Amino acid sequence: MNIRIAFASLLAASALATSVSAQTLNVVTAGDTNMVDYINDYLGPKFEEAHPGVTVRAVGTGPGDGGSQAIFEKINAQKDKGVWDVDVAVVHQRMAGQMVQDGLLANYRDGLATSKLVTRETAENALGVNVSGYVMPMFHSQIAIAYNPDVIATPPQSYEELAKWVKENPGKFGYNGITGGMAGVGFVFGWMYAFSDMADEIRNGPWVDGAADKWTPALASLRDFNQSVVMTPGNAGTLDAMNRGEIAMGPVWMDMFYTWVADGRLNPNLKLMILSPGMPGQPMYYAVPAKAAQADLAKEFIAFATSPAVQAEGIVRRFNWFPGIDPQNVKSELTDAEWNRLFADVAPETLAERGWSMPQAKYFAAILEAYEKNVAK
Amino acid sequence: MTATTSADARQTPPDPVPGSASRRLSGMLPGLLLVAPALTAIGLLYAAPLVRSLVTAFVGADGTFTFANLEKALEFYGADILFSILVTLASLALIAATSIAIAGYLTLGQSRWAVPLLRWMYRWPLFIPFIVAGQTARSFLARNGMLNTLLADAGVLDAAAAQSLLDWRGLVLTFAWKQVPFVTLLLAGAMASLDRSTIEAARNLGASRLRCLFEIVLPQVRPQLFVALVLSLVTLLSVLSVPVMLISGNPTMMTAMMAHRVTYYGDYAVANALGLFSYLLTAAAAWAYLRMSLKEKANP
Repeated sequence: MNIRIAFASLLAASALATSVSAQTLNVVTAGDTNMVDYINDYLGPKFEEAHPGVTVRAVGTGPGDGGSQAIFEKINAQKDKGVWDVDVAVVHQRMAGQMVQDGLLANYRDGLATSKLVTRETAENALGVNVSGYVMPMFHSQIAIAYNPDVIATPPQSYEELAKWVKENPGKFGYNGITGGMAGVGFVFGWMYAFSDMADEIRNGPWVDGAADKWTPALASLRDFNQSVVMTPGNAGTLDAMNRGEIAMGPVWMDMFYTWVADGRLNPNLKLMILSPGMPGQPMYYAVPAKAAQADLAKEFIAFATSPAVQAEGIVRRFNWFPGIDPQNVKSELTDAEWNRLFADVAPETLAERGWSMPQAKYFAAILEAYEKNVAK
Repeated sequence: MTATTSADARQTPPDPVPGSASRRLSGMLPGLLLVAPALTAIGLLYAAPLVRSLVTAFVGADGTFTFANLEKALEFYGADILFSILVTLASLALIAATSIAIAGYLTLGQSRWAVPLLRWMYRWPLFIPFIVAGQTARSFLARNGMLNTLLADAGVLDAAAAQSLLDWRGLVLTFAWKQVPFVTLLLAGAMASLDRSTIEAARNLGASRLRCLFEIVLPQVRPQLFVALVLSLVTLLSVLSVPVMLISGNPTMMTAMMAHRVTYYGDYAVANALGLFSYLLTAAAAWAYLRMSLKEKANP
């Protein structure tokens, strides 16, 4: 009997103790499964090590803007509750802007140890929405053109040259349209930057009603361009087609390209370049919802995740992404070989000059709809 | 006295007495309780979202009733709706032809090794998910994919003239590959349960096996074939992974465009309007299916 009482009190005491010290940090992330793996396999365990009693739980909501949309819906649905079940949200630009406008995110960046290390303009402005203070960039990924130097010795350097080149070499360039992933979407945005005469407005706003009417010539030339290119099924479809020698050139995500090469899934002779005037890239953001249950812990987590050491090891070394903080702050944590590999094909200056942001949210949707109406049919 | 009462009760149904309704209800209670979980699940997880999505298709951004979503769906994706119908019908035709051939051979074939081998092999795709089938087809049917490479190596195809099958043909082939085992399974089962004496009588009178299949066997299993095809139609209309993985650009299947509307525009209204067309198509199939099964029940 005494033993049983002792055992029961021990159990009660331990339950009390865990309820005091145990904290669960809920990280909800958009993106491919690699985002969940990154938190579960790397970031979470390292953070738990430094914070005994803390459990990091990662949930993925799916790739692309659809994943960010799901996070928005999840948070928006519990808007009227006192406490929300998301502590850290990892979202794309477009949804970050909307969530800031809807008052769903906390202004947390000031006072964060790593906030001074961020220099990119995307930390202040997400597709035309001022997000300064609400987000920390996790990484930056860039769309570029992959080409096979064995087939094309001197690739076209601009959209204009590319359009001419494709006419002379039909069937050698491939991309995935706008329904098969962001590499194709980004290529189309670049086309509009080059030929719409509205590159600044598209990226920075303001939105003008009826803007799409002025795009008819640019879209007509894109439709004409499409007659000479191969349509590939998806971002991976473009890389697959290059691998099989079906096409010699196509738009890809740079990080995906490097990862495939590192895994031995892609011809390592292929090279990357960015067309002028510019091709879009985007960050993903760490954000803290306005009523997060573990807001302080969330801030510590984000400071840790954006520290130079983690950005070097996790973001650059593991995923071949560009760091979310200024690359110069990460340089000392990388070997020369790793630094050079990151900028092997595209020099930092070229990246700065031709790495443009995505269109402002309204233009983003308007360009896609205009493409569907005028080009895809 | 007691005897008369019981005899009366036997001849005429007892008058409804107060409390009999509640007694009947309490008699039904266990049954209702047993049905309740399934009914609730269907109501909450299926009927409610269905009604909600149907309603959303007719609600504009300002919350009022509108046909704008339907008009937009037709204007932007009319070709995709037509494409979905044509691809599904072509797939069903190929599925029917292949399944009849396989099930017919399983029933009428005489080879000692080919029949068991085919019986063992034809079911494999049943265990492969659509997404895996899509991924396999994607590298198998590409221009420099495995199929064309094999054909070129065999000297059948000139490598320079090879073309990609990643369009409607790829969809039809993948859908057929995935659904043929299901239809064959039902069809071969139905054929096996036929009275073999009709087949043997025809064979004794000199009918070829092919004639036997088309004039004796197939007419008897037509209802089962029809049901299997209706169920396949519903499955094919709901597949998202295969069109997303095989088709680039438009036209493509409706499911891919519904996902596109939600992913890039957060636009559930037009996605639901597209869904409405899907419902209409499957509803037509369901109506045919119900009519068929009712007719069967009427004359078993």
